[in-house]
Amino acid sequence: MDIYFLVFAIMAVGAGIFTITAKDALPSALGLLTVFVALAALYLHLHAPLVAIFQITIYAGAILVLVVFVIMLLMVPDEELEKTQRNMPFRMTGAFLATYMIVLLLIGTKSVTQLVHQENLPEGFGHPSMFGDLFFKDFLLHFEVASVLLLVALIASIYLAKKKI
Amino acid sequence: MAPIEYYITLSCILFGLGAIGFLTRRNAIILFMSIELMLNSINLMLTAFSHFKADMAGQVMVLFIFAVAAAEVAVGLAILICLFKHIKSVDITKFNLLRW
Repeated sequence: MDIYFLVFAIMAVGAGIFTITAKDALPSALGLLTVFVALAALYLHLHAPLVAIFQITIYAGAILVLVVFVIMLLMVPDEELEKTQRNMPFRMTGAFLATYMIVLLLIGTKSVTQLVHQENLPEGFGHPSMFGDLFFKDFLLHFEVASVLLLVALIASIYLAKKKI
Repeated sequence: MAPIEYYITLSCILFGLGAIGFLTRRNAIILFMSIELMLNSINLMLTAFSHFKADMAGQVMVLFIFAVAAAEVAVGLAILICLFKHIKSVDITKFNLLRW
């Protein structure tokens, strides 16, 4: 049993449970931050150092700061915001179905693992130069489309932030 | 090195937590964070398969998911702020203008 994996997996699951059960949004955001850091550590273990760095800079650095900024900006007073929704039977049915799907997926992994064997990693696997090679050659079109998507999101958020809409 | 089923299990658990949070909470910001949790679980799955199949394409795909998540959060939070200006609440049960 891999102790490194175990430590960070338990950290991620515990912080994930805290994220969805915390009463206020800010502690929930801090729980999410812990999930991000734990996953970044797991990416390092999977020979994906670049993904780990992006996880920290983009997720923990940009996205989570934006979320925390919005939490601070809205500053929702301690209104009568109940923790969970009103029609809980339906909601819990959905949640249980989601859990059931997970269990099915876990059973499904048994057959997946017969298909995936650990293949020998080539020299320099996960190195940024190999990553860049793939990124700017094979996935060049996807890269351009992603940049257009980000531009559209930028324009949309500026438009939505106007005074009157 | 932990075998791949551990990574798949962890990814499934995180996805399930995100789904449960999305379906049961009523604070709109926490719903966003649940979506982020689900996206992250998919990233973990992609990276794990990328490692075990020795194929870098999975890691590149993770980067595209980062881009989509950034766009989603930027637009989503802007929409949330707009809604807050009108309704003065982040309670999603109060956003019922388009409900029949």
